Order: sequence, then structure tokens, then C-alpha cells
Amino acid sequence: MKLKKLLCVGLATVMTMSLTACGNNASSNAVNGDQTGSKASGDTINLTIWSPTDEEPIENWWVEKLAAWNEAHPEIQVSREAIDRSDSYAYENKITTATTSNDLPDILYVDGPNVSYYAANGIIVPMEGAFSEEEMADFMPSTVQQGTYDGQLYAIAGTESSVALFYNKDYLDAAGIQYPSDSDVKDAWTWTEFYNNAEKLTTEDYVGTNIIMDKGEGLIYALGQFWTENNADLISEDGAVADGYVNSDASIATAEYLAKFIQNGYANLDPVKDEFLNGYAATMLGGSWNIADLEKSDMNWGVSYFPVSDDGKASSPTGDWAAAITKNCENVDAAKEFMNWLMSSENIAAYASAIAKPASRTSAYDQMEGWDEGARALMLWQLQNTGTARPSSPSYSVLSTDFASALLNIFSGADAKTEMDNVASDVDENYETYYAE
Amino acid sequence: MANTEVKAMRRPEYKRGEKMAGSIMSLPAVLLLLAFLVVPIIYTIYYSFFKYQVMRPDSITFHGITNYLKLFGDKDFWVALKNTVYFTVLVVPIQCVLALALAMLVTSKRRGVSIFRTMYFSPQVTSMVVIAILWTILYNSSATTGLINAFLKNMGMGPVDFLNNPKTAMNSIIFMSAWQGAGYQMMIFLAGLNGIPAEQYEAASVDGATKVQQFLYVTIPGLMNTIKYVLMITLIQAMKLFTQPYIMTKGGPQNTTKTLVFYIYEQGFQKGNFGYACTAATIFFIIVVVLSLIVKKLTKTS
Repeated sequence: MKLKKLLCVGLATVMTMSLTACGNNASSNAVNGDQTGSKASGDTINLTIWSPTDEEPIENWWVEKLAAWNEAHPEIQVSREAIDRSDSYAYENKITTATTSNDLPDILYVDGPNVSYYAANGIIVPMEGAFSEEEMADFMPSTVQQGTYDGQLYAIAGTESSVALFYNKDYLDAAGIQYPSDSDVKDAWTWTEFYNNAEKLTTEDYVGTNIIMDKGEGLIYALGQFWTENNADLISEDGAVADGYVNSDASIATAEYLAKFIQNGYANLDPVKDEFLNGYAATMLGGSWNIADLEKSDMNWGVSYFPVSDDGKASSPTGDWAAAITKNCENVDAAKEFMNWLMSSENIAAYASAIAKPASRTSAYDQMEGWDEGARALMLWQLQNTGTARPSSPSYSVLSTDFASALLNIFSGADAKTEMDNVASDVDENYETYYAE
Repeated sequence: MANTEVKAMRRPEYKRGEKMAGSIMSLPAVLLLLAFLVVPIIYTIYYSFFKYQVMRPDSITFHGITNYLKLFGDKDFWVALKNTVYFTVLVVPIQCVLALALAMLVTSKRRGVSIFRTMYFSPQVTSMVVIAILWTILYNSSATTGLINAFLKNMGMGPVDFLNNPKTAMNSIIFMSAWQGAGYQMMIFLAGLNGIPAEQYEAASVDGATKVQQFLYVTIPGLMNTIKYVLMITLIQAMKLFTQPYIMTKGGPQNTTKTLVFYIYEQGFQKGNFGYACTAATIFFIIVVVLSLIVKKLTKTS
């Protein structure tokens, strides 16, 4: 009986090993198979791209541009897979799984602050030489900064982003509140004004403001600016230490300020989709990408600067999804060539215009209309003057996740100090475990 | 002599060819089980002793029992365990009683009863993700968008922020989970009810037993095996709670809906602590196995 058991276990182990061996063979075969396959069909290189599922105009842009490229370059055929983000970390999870199984695409779109995380872990590779010096100078400094890690360019974005305060003119009229300025940042709403007005604007039918973009990355992206304005860094400049930063007094005070909006009912923690657009919120911290939809609507809306601190310090979000070449890419040169074309002024201008996002190349604005006035001009002004990048750290994924859940906890009544202390110890432990020398 | 006879009775001798055929036929199932169950479990236990950042499969280093020590000292892990136990302890009886009640309702031979049977079962056919999204809207705190709060408002009651209040969030998930899951258990109970011979009810009524007495002394004993089975599967299902908090609350508010599986997912995928996530998964695996063994033992003796 015992012998039988032993045999069974032994057999299972042997089979396990042979199976894993099979697994390894299979994956390497697949890679080889791809190569021979592409050689057989006349040296065609196949490149795949992953990027998040986007709004319709962008989806159309992809179809149109890829068709144009594939027709002009029969030797480099490019295809794109749209991956759903689900307002959370679903897309990042997909990348994680693909990393463990070596199934990454050739070109990967990554969210700006994740560049440092992916680069530090070798998921994406430098793409030096993809752009000439002249072309690099054409990109906005914040775009290049966001795509650079350890002195090398790892990713490049076609567009930038910014967040400003949108307001419903009818609701402000009803509450007797003067429209905030869209021409001078000195007359932007301060923290106190923002809070008091949100209170005044809240009625039975709609809330005063909407500050929740989503419950994932959107929290650190859109609300992180309040920390900057309050002179509270989330992490040390080299991205190694969070203790003493994210749990500083100023940081806790900022979280408590924002929590009052939710707890007093001036903003929803679970806003319905398009809350502002549908008239359920009087104001919104909205992105540059919201402009297109608002213009299409018949709502009577206006836009002002991102709220400034009571002593007038202004800051605004920046950054967008950027394209990078992954470690699984076998034809890096072809990928660079394609990337150079993808991020050309003309393509960027078309992409940016389609969704009313600010382009990342200065020369693109020559081909774009409407950026010299109104909401778009304000966004562009913010980008050039008050834009602040999200913190850069190899432990960014932990910082972003923990910061998001801490903030949500604080919004629903948890103690801010305890929550922020947790973030600090978690981030520091992560850095020490994996990145400290 | 007699002993060997009994043995022979229990284990009929197969011919060689038959034995071969049997092995070959079970081979695909055994291989699949190995590939998708046994191997992953072994791997999980193996990696639980390693420092493994998910993005760096090249630099996995042996960590001894560091992960285990860290896990047992991790407040969040204990919170997750507590939440999982709370959910299980409440949802199992609620769901089973609800399922039995529904089964009793639709077992009668009245006309149109099959429509109800289908209705009660329909949440089970729908994907949990879809149901979770629907219930998020139902539970929305605003009376203008949340159906339940609109109803409460008409009744003159204040809005309840079901999913964002630490006191109500988990209970809200328990309620919708029981509602969603009861249909399946109802079907199993129905099969069990049909297995009770009608003669027993006849005999009971001849003896003057009331409906309640019939339920207590005929239905329940007749269903005993079914009840054991249902309890067991509901228990294990409940321990694995993930989809509802993932979609509806993201583990919040204040970690009140963060379950063990959610914790494992968060550590492994969002934070990249793969080795550590494997450690938590190993502990979770042990808990579920021990629990199943206990339930099995308990139901065997009774």
C-alpha cells in the first residue's frame, strides 16, 4: 500500500516535470515558429500593439492609420489589439500576466507613471535612435520627461492631458455664484472657494462637484495635484522613500480636505457615468478628453483652472499613455521605424484632434484647430505653465494602488493618519525588497 | 477463505485488456487534472518560499519562510480572513434556507409553476459580473439613480449608502450573493424533494401529521444527504468570494469587503508580490482543505 502511494507521488512528480519541460519547449517553439512563418511569407515582420480600448474617434484613428501603414509597408505588418481597462487596473493586470508567460506584444502602451516601474523591471527596452535630435526637441519637455527613466528614453506619448474645473453655468446662476475665471489663474477658485461653492451648489437633484474620475489610477492622477499645491510630496525625489512624505502632516491635511466633499455629500464616491454631462453634478474636475463630448452636448458649460491653494499655488495633472517597445519584441529596429511614423507630427495632430487632447509635439498644433481659444487653450496653458508629473518610482504600482485604496477608505470615514502610515510602510517595504542595493 | 471471497466480491478481477482500456480512457482526465490542478498547486506551494517580483521572473531568490512570517504578521491578511469568515458564516445559512424555501414553493404541481422555477434560476445563468454591475446601480446612494434608495425615499426613509458605508457594505454583498446563488441550490433541493416517495407523505397524513410535522419528520430526514451536499458546496463557494467585491467595492470601504482571494489578487497582480501572493494562496488552500475535511467528517457521522 505504502509502495503504491510512493509510486503515485513519484509518477506525479515525473509527469509534472515532463509537463513543465513541455511547456518551455512549446513556448520557445512558438517563438521560432513565428519567425520561420514570417520568413516564409517573403520576410514580412509582424508587429503587434496593445493599447487600451478607447473612445470611438480614436478607435477609428487606429483602423485608418494602420491600414495606411500596412499598405505602404508590406514588409512590416502591424496589428493592434484593444484591451479593456474597466476603469481600474484590468489593463495592467493583463500586462502582468503576459510578462510571466512571455506573451507581451512588440509595442505596448503604458500609462505615463508606469514607465519607471516597467523600465526598472526590464519589461520595456530603451528606444534610443527612434527619433532624431530635432524631432525630440519638438516633443513637449513633460512628454520626454515622463518617458525617460535613468537617463534613457523608454516610451513616447502622442498626446498629453490636463485636468481643469468644468462648471454648469445654469447651476451656478441658480446658486448666484460668479463664473470662475478662464483668463487669469490668479482668479481661479481657491481650495476654500471650491469647497464653499460645492456646498452652495449641492441640491436635492445634483451634487456640488465630481472629483472621482475612477477608483484606480485616476485618483493619484487627478487628485495628486492637491498634494503638490499643499507642498506635500508623495515620495522622495529618487522614488525610494515614502515614509515622512505620503504620511506627512500636510499630506494628511490634504486628504482630510478632500474627504469633506464626500462626507458632507457635496460629491459622490460612486458617481454615475457621465455625472456632470447628465446634469447630476454642478462642477467637475474633468480632463481635456471630456471637451469633445461637452461640445457635442447642449449643456451650458464653462471651464476654469484647476483649483489653486489658498496662497495661490497652482498645479495641474499631466501625462498620457505612451508607446514603448517590450523585451519580447524581436525586431526592435522595425518597431522603432514604425514608432517614428506613428508619432509623426501629422499622425499626432490627427489623433489629438479626434479626441480633443493636447498633442505632445509643438509642430502638431499648426495642423490643429481650436487650440488658441476656449477650454482647449486653457488646457494647453496649464500644460505649459502649471503641469506637474506624477511621482516616479520603481515602486509606483504599489504607491498608486495603496494611495487609491487609502484615499477611498479616508473618503468613507477611515482615519487619515493610519491610512497614510500604511501606504508609507507598504511602499517602503516593496522598495527595500526588490530595488534597494 | 471467506475473507478473500468478500474481497473478490468488492473488487472484481478485470481482464488485462480491460484494465488497459480503463487506464487509457482515464488518461485524458488524469492528464488534465495534473496540468490544471496538481501542477499549479505544487507550483504555488513552491513559489511561496521565494522572493518573486512578478515583472522579474529572472531574479527569483529563495526566501525561506520569510513570506510566511510576514503573512502572519500582516494585519490586512487577518482582516481579509475575518471578512471571508463573516461572509461565509452569514451567507451559507441564508442562502441554503432561501434555496430550500424556494424549492418547497416551486415543487407543488400547480399550473405555471415552471415559470417561477425558471425565474428563480435565472440569476444563476447570468454572469456574476453582470449581476454585480446591476446591483451596484440598484445600491447607488443617490435617490435619483439608485433604485432601492428611490424606493426608500418614497417610503419616507433617508438614503442609505449601501456600498460605501463600512457597516452595510458586506451585508449588501451577502444579500445579493444569496439572492444570486440560491437558484442553483434550489435546483439541487428540487431533485432531492422529488426523491422522497409520495407514500411517506400519505402515511404521515393518515397518521394525522400536520404540514409542519410532515416537513420536520418526512421532508427534512429525506433531504438529509442533499442538505449535506448543498452545505458543502455553498461553504467552499463562499470562501472563494471575489467577483462581487472586485466589481462593487474594490475591497472597500475601509477594507470591510476585502476577502482572502481579493487579498491574494491584489498582492500578486496589482503590487507584483508574486511569491508572497503564493504564500497567501497556500494558506488559503490549506484552510479550504481542512474545512472540507471537517464538513465531510461531520456529515458522515450524523
